[in-house]
Amino acid sequence: MRTRTRFSRMLVGGVTLGMALSLSACGGDSGSGSSDGKIHVLVYGDATNKVEKAVVAEFNKTSEVKVVLDTIPGATYQQKLQTIINTPQAPDVFYNWGAGSIQPFVKAGLLMPLDDFIKDDPKLKSAFLPSVFNAAEVDGKAYGIPMRGTQPVLLFSNDKVLKDAGTTAPKTWDDLLDSVKKLKKSGVTPIALGGGDQWPTLMWFEYLYDRIAGPDLLKKAVAGDKDAWASEDSKKALNKLKELVDTGAFGTNYDSVKYTDGGSPALIARGKAGFELMGSWYYSQQQTDAKEFAEKDLGYHPFPTIDGGKGDPNDVVGNTNNYYSVMKKTKHPEAVAKFLKLMYSDKFIKRQLAIGNLPTTTNTEKFLDTASNPDYAHYQFDLVKKAPSFQLSWDQAYPQSASEQMHQAVQQFFNGSMDVDGFIKAMQALPTA
Amino acid sequence: MTTQLTHAAAPVKTSGRGSGRARGGQAADVGRPGFAWAVPATIFFVLFAILPLLAVAVLSFMSWGGIGDPEWVGLDNWSRVFDDPVMIKSIWLTLLLTVLGVVLQTPLSILIGVWAAGTQRNRAVISAVYFVPLLLSSTAVSVLWRALLDPNFGIPSEATWLFGDGNLFGEQSTAIGVLAFVSTWQFTPLHSLIYQGAARAIPQVLYQAAQIDGAGRVRQFFHITLPQLRNSIITSMILMVVGGLTTFETVLILTQGGPGTDTTISAYYMYQKAFKSFDFGAGAVIALLLVVAATIISLIVVRLSGYDKMRSTMEGVS
Repeated sequence: MRTRTRFSRMLVGGVTLGMALSLSACGGDSGSGSSDGKIHVLVYGDATNKVEKAVVAEFNKTSEVKVVLDTIPGATYQQKLQTIINTPQAPDVFYNWGAGSIQPFVKAGLLMPLDDFIKDDPKLKSAFLPSVFNAAEVDGKAYGIPMRGTQPVLLFSNDKVLKDAGTTAPKTWDDLLDSVKKLKKSGVTPIALGGGDQWPTLMWFEYLYDRIAGPDLLKKAVAGDKDAWASEDSKKALNKLKELVDTGAFGTNYDSVKYTDGGSPALIARGKAGFELMGSWYYSQQQTDAKEFAEKDLGYHPFPTIDGGKGDPNDVVGNTNNYYSVMKKTKHPEAVAKFLKLMYSDKFIKRQLAIGNLPTTTNTEKFLDTASNPDYAHYQFDLVKKAPSFQLSWDQAYPQSASEQMHQAVQQFFNGSMDVDGFIKAMQALPTA
Repeated sequence: MTTQLTHAAAPVKTSGRGSGRARGGQAADVGRPGFAWAVPATIFFVLFAILPLLAVAVLSFMSWGGIGDPEWVGLDNWSRVFDDPVMIKSIWLTLLLTVLGVVLQTPLSILIGVWAAGTQRNRAVISAVYFVPLLLSSTAVSVLWRALLDPNFGIPSEATWLFGDGNLFGEQSTAIGVLAFVSTWQFTPLHSLIYQGAARAIPQVLYQAAQIDGAGRVRQFFHITLPQLRNSIITSMILMVVGGLTTFETVLILTQGGPGTDTTISAYYMYQKAFKSFDFGAGAVIALLLVVAATIISLIVVRLSGYDKMRSTMEGVS
């Protein structure tokens, strides 16, 4: 008898606990976008959040509808976003990379086209550099307002190492091959590469394809044209890259080196390598990790030109910017529109520049001298402004579901375990939205 | 005779507090708890293991990208996964790593465990130090070894005669070697701990008798210690097998399944499918395959070893 009472008491206890757990799961989440009088803005959680916090605080001072800023740590941002976007916990406004990163959401009918906002306030579009603004358009409609800063990929160098080897920053592809030869002779790894992370390797493909085939190849490929990858230009780009790898430009152990744990930047900072191709955030990274080197010997250059290539030598690749996109279901579109206007305000631009970001409004130029490093800010801004095409990183241009296979193919082609045809086949097999 | 009988019956009468035991009424129930003891664990198990498992089983017949409503696709995910060369490769890699783990860790942990079961003071101190890896999370361990094995700034740069250019993570054989080594480094302490406890529980009389018979240390080890450790060996091996099948963090941090797909073991492939490619259907299939495989292998180990008979080595209870 006593066992039975004990048993039933435990059962009751267990069920209560279970219900309590599920109840708290329903009601406890503060990320709910449907709560009245509030809009939730979800951003990638990192050091840059201090600007976003300031912007939100400023907005809340005057607005009836309050903005709540939610942050998710970087490494899990995309996964968490994907999990909550179609639930009541979804935010009203969220951070993204434009293009492929929001395409599935547009397809699922979750996002609000921003045309009406732009009609009411044309500056929401005209205040931004067109090449950047256009990168968040899907099927000709605007779905994102640029925020944070642009991140073009640049060729960084250790100028002391270059000098010791008797070479300089390369202007053309042949110059680069020549520099590689000289650097090898002086006993350093010519080009540092964090191949273990895979995405740094991708940057080399992006630039070679852009220089040789022009930006249209990727546009076609992303739109579903499988023949683009099998074209002559594509093969030419792959062979050129192979040639560079085979000269030993990257050494032999790049697959065991990572960018994310500071491995490849340390090669440059400690004078063990000459060049590294990386996004513009590299500069502030080196300033944090190796301040003295960053101030004395760190050089930054555009990617070399390639003779006979179809791409404009001024083209850049990288992350055009980050964007705020708006959920269709938001209950306070007017407040959201008002909030988005802050993204081209003078105060916002100055705040971003102060922490080393480069916002992409047309008037950013006026404020460049207030940047943490004015020279670098000017250089980057001119580069992006002059660029006829700013190609988004392939893994962001394609839908998220393609990135894993793409990274693997890139790594395998680079280390020789996949040939030109294998690579083309792998790229043709990628899902295109 | 009479005394023995009363002796056996006495505990049943006097300890009538647990009605379950009174109802059972058999001497064999002495010291064995009733079902009620397992209720909290059972509820938790149902809530957090059985129900999610059922949900995963349903999901394996659906196409779901994380947004929108899942769509019923029948056996599509299953046939896709079985046709996938990477999946087949991942199964072999998983088995290889599991076998490597068992082969490397078992002899090492038995030796260390038996050695540490001694009573001298220095052993206590050294074993305490030795057990430190057990206290670190897999993530910390992986990050640590990734840094130590960096080709330019880690051990390989100092010992080029052994590591060559240090491209340990760039080639399949060495990458697998590193994964096996890191797991061994991390989990040998746990298994040693199991063996240490078991070795300490071996009755000293056995060794004393052996000594009288003139058996040396080696003979004592093979004829007393090892047979007495049998149940612990099985426990430890099941843990190793299940642990091997579900190895994840080390791969995630050390190799990310690379180079290419050369270290993409099944558990990592599941994560990659579900949370990186947002193909939750395929991820669910792999998850179920892992559950089935782990269950079957554990059952085989248990059967082959006679562990299912649940024989106790406790004196007086059988």
